[in-house]
Amino acid sequence: MRIDYRIDHPVRLQARFEVEGFTVLLGQSGEGKTTLLRAIAGLLFAEGEPFGGLPPQRRAVGYLPQGYALFPHLRAWENVAFALPRGAQRRARATEYLARVRLADVAEHYPTALSGGQQQRVALARALARKPQLLLLDEPSSALDAATRDEVMAELISEVREFGLPVLAVSHDPHLAALADSVAVMCERRIVQQGAPAAVLSRPGSVAVARLLGHRNLFTGRVAGHEPNAGVTLLQWEAANGTTLRLPQQPELVVGQLVQWMVASTAVRLPALKPEMHRSENPVIGRVESLLNLGAHFQVALRCGTDRLWLAAHRNLVQHYGLEAGREITVDLRRNSLLCWPHTV
Amino acid sequence: MSTLINVQAADGLPRARAPALIGALTLLLISGPFISLAFATHWSNFRFVPGDTGSIGVSLGYSLIALVLIVALGTPLSWWLARQSFRGKWVLDAVILLTLLTPPLAMGILLTTLYGPYGPVGRVVAGSGLELTNSAPAFVLAQFYGALPYYVVAARAAFEGVPRELEHIAMTLGKSPWQTFWQVSMPLARLGVAAGIALAWVRALGEFGIVLILAYYPQGIPVKLWVNLQDIGLPAVYPLLWVFFLVAMPLPLLLGLASRRQRMF
Repeated sequence: MRIDYRIDHPVRLQARFEVEGFTVLLGQSGEGKTTLLRAIAGLLFAEGEPFGGLPPQRRAVGYLPQGYALFPHLRAWENVAFALPRGAQRRARATEYLARVRLADVAEHYPTALSGGQQQRVALARALARKPQLLLLDEPSSALDAATRDEVMAELISEVREFGLPVLAVSHDPHLAALADSVAVMCERRIVQQGAPAAVLSRPGSVAVARLLGHRNLFTGRVAGHEPNAGVTLLQWEAANGTTLRLPQQPELVVGQLVQWMVASTAVRLPALKPEMHRSENPVIGRVESLLNLGAHFQVALRCGTDRLWLAAHRNLVQHYGLEAGREITVDLRRNSLLCWPHTV
Repeated sequence: MSTLINVQAADGLPRARAPALIGALTLLLISGPFISLAFATHWSNFRFVPGDTGSIGVSLGYSLIALVLIVALGTPLSWWLARQSFRGKWVLDAVILLTLLTPPLAMGILLTTLYGPYGPVGRVVAGSGLELTNSAPAFVLAQFYGALPYYVVAARAAFEGVPRELEHIAMTLGKSPWQTFWQVSMPLARLGVAAGIALAWVRALGEFGIVLILAYYPQGIPVKLWVNLQDIGLPAVYPLLWVFFLVAMPLPLLLGLASRRQRMF
């Protein structure tokens, strides 16, 4: 479904993108993401398609605002039944919807007696009961605690997929973007990039997008030259003792020009176990500053000159190399994972 | 301090005794007049003055009509004031406050100026045979003006307390603004609206100043109390006073207790 909306008030913004399956619109707070959802739901004046010009009650959208807005005076099943036409089957159908989000057992509870995740699913059931053509989710992961967030979100997404509805979720949470079918990135109140999450995450179109996606390895460098025969551009990473990096050729960059470059923390590799099989592309020397245990993976902070380089490494490798704070190690930055953009102030 | 603060309240914080003592004293002051009425009444000689029972019927019947009018006309106004914002809204706020703050006697004079036999409205209406002084419509009119602003202020606050987001969500769920009002705004504002109804009921029933000027007849309880006091004396008013409490209080007390005991979602 194609979304094309123009809003003048309360913020001026323009959004044109595709909603395919579960689509996440990623943007910082203040970009007007909630405003866009409210405009699509018909709750504020805006021009655009779909549903342009219709009053909210005639737009076939299911809208889940932040905090879910369950009716406090109605039980869970009554909240769901609110969207259903009157009739003998009303209660049975509401309970059916609750069962589809696996909440039939709390049908008699009032919203205050439900956990955040349960409230969200009741709101989802209520929105689905309206038989929408498009589901709008406002920051669906923000009210959930970090420990259960991924699980609850994965569940929500699979439930939504069962209904086969296009879903537009707005968020500032790159974790949520990673779970989506499609990601659109909003920057300075317009859509700057859209694509599959893996593609967008690994190749952000600008520094701002990279920041939004949660990339931490963003540095400044200077173009040192081009090697057309090898198809590489040389970059001098001055902060890391002038280390020279080789990245896929970008002929538009001028020698001496300041650039911003990034490398995903997963593209920073520890030395290969069989060095003779893998040629090092961009060796960088760093001193281990800290290790963060994330279960199967470690987040390792390396001090390279005055910059800090993050790498994500499998636990086995970290143990194999006996990484610990203070240890010096040479890592490799994968050439094809290096991205760079002309420096903007 | 240690002598005053030595009891633990339910929330685990020290409970101060001084406010409790002062509070008890204040309560005694408040309840004093009611207790004294119980002692002053001649229970062995409890009888009504002629006309007392008629005044009860007048007060109850017309207050009920006034209350229905107040709710019917005041509710849309309250909702509108709670939900719409526009330039110059403060003028409307000021008008409501003005009617609330105008002393009843002054309001009675204003109403007589407008609806009296020589007033612009009174003269027109008199042409169709309707008297707006010393008549049943005048009585209802006086109560309406006396109680409406109290209802509007209370109901407006109640509607302002309903999160707009819930009304918006109701509309995205396919409800018209009218359905949204009845299924979301009203249920969520009902405690405040009920308080407004109770307040308006007591104000209407007890209205004396406006009624005295605009509708001395038919005599409701307040005017009859005053007449009894003038003509016969203090002991003669006690029976009607008891009835007044008996008919005026059940509605607000019930509504008040219901809202206190209401499970707050």
